[in-house]
Amino acid sequence: MADLKEQIIEQLNLQDVKPEDIGDDQPLFGDGLGLDSIDALELIVLLQQKYKVKLSNAEDGPKIFRSVRTIAEFIESTRIPNA
Amino acid sequence: MYIRAASNISPQNTFGNQRFLSELAGYTGDGLTCIEPDYKALIDPKIIRRMSRIIKMGVAAGMDCLQQAGVNAPDAIITGTAYGCLEDTNTFLTKMVQQNEEALSPTAFIQSTHNTISAQIALLLQCHQYNNTFVNGGASFENALLDAMMLLYEGEAANVLVGGIDEITTNSHAILKRMGLYRREQVSNFDLLNTPGKGTMAGEGSAFFMLSREASDNDWAKIDGVSSFYKPRNTAEIKQQISIFLQSQNANIHEIDLVITGNNGDLKNDAVYEQLLKYDFANAPVINYKALCGEYPTSSAFATWLAAHEIKAGGCSFVPESDQTSLKKVLIYNHYQNIHHSLILLSAC
Repeated sequence: MADLKEQIIEQLNLQDVKPEDIGDDQPLFGDGLGLDSIDALELIVLLQQKYKVKLSNAEDGPKIFRSVRTIAEFIESTRIPNA
Repeated sequence: MYIRAASNISPQNTFGNQRFLSELAGYTGDGLTCIEPDYKALIDPKIIRRMSRIIKMGVAAGMDCLQQAGVNAPDAIITGTAYGCLEDTNTFLTKMVQQNEEALSPTAFIQSTHNTISAQIALLLQCHQYNNTFVNGGASFENALLDAMMLLYEGEAANVLVGGIDEITTNSHAILKRMGLYRREQVSNFDLLNTPGKGTMAGEGSAFFMLSREASDNDWAKIDGVSSFYKPRNTAEIKQQISIFLQSQNANIHEIDLVITGNNGDLKNDAVYEQLLKYDFANAPVINYKALCGEYPTSSAFATWLAAHEIKAGGCSFVPESDQTSLKKVLIYNHYQNIHHSLILLSAC
């Protein structure tokens, strides 16, 4: 999850934020890290580029991108069938 | 229209510094780059993270200008830029090629448009008023000024924020250098005009003005008129354009206290000014500004800021003391690549 946090910081150019500043279960949007809809698109691009994972159903977005942990779980879940 | 406030991020220490002339910045090479302020003190860090350099330069100068004028909600925001947000365009296009047109980052694409700066300022202010960007090469800033002038004179607006912005990027610099715009040899900006040759020094900048229909007690200067013309055939046509412009302003060349020209050290470029300097502008002190900011399509925004700054200061610090008069009227004559020519007349309030 530390790697994922670093990639999120780099992709979203989060200034003055270190991986340890982001809690595993901290909400990424709204009151948490304060990300917005453009960041959501950037996260989709990140998953596609780094993990070759595509979000097939846009309605799953809010659930998947709730926190770093939910993103990590989503990546893991999509890797199992290909393993 | 009255210049209520002005802000300028340039290769000189112009931002928030009224004494920039006493500490001029020197450059050696083939370009001058902006001295940028600490943006974190000016723009919300949450918003700044997505902004490329030109967007930060534009938004910071625009917001500073509004702050100086004490205006939170301008009636219009108008910008002029020839190249727009080049770095974002470069990032977007590079990724499109590298990633085979798949999984493209949206941020660079969204911000690659020419009107990003005026839009970002509007978003920050939640300003839903008139918002326009002119992309007309070397006449971009002049057309933005004209648009503001029409809005103010026709009563559509009382306060208009106008800016001229362009940036140099590594790629644009390399391409324009290959086209012969910039010097092949190393040159100092202070020697640029004394050592004429082929090419000039690249420049960039972001100058914003808060323009008002009504005078206030704190105005820097007044912009009386703006005129631009395209590809004049010869010097006679330029002289005619200057004469028509001054007549339309009820002014004549002998009333001009200072002329600011766009000489840039390039032989072909400066030949355009030669006859005018020898005869038409012979009786007025003449200064050049491109040794301070370099050459770029919206550099006349820097010249306008300089003229307003000198009028506000009450005299021109570039001119020898013996030639000093109080500045009542200042004429800016500039051309970019001998394609777009412009005249801007400013006067003291």
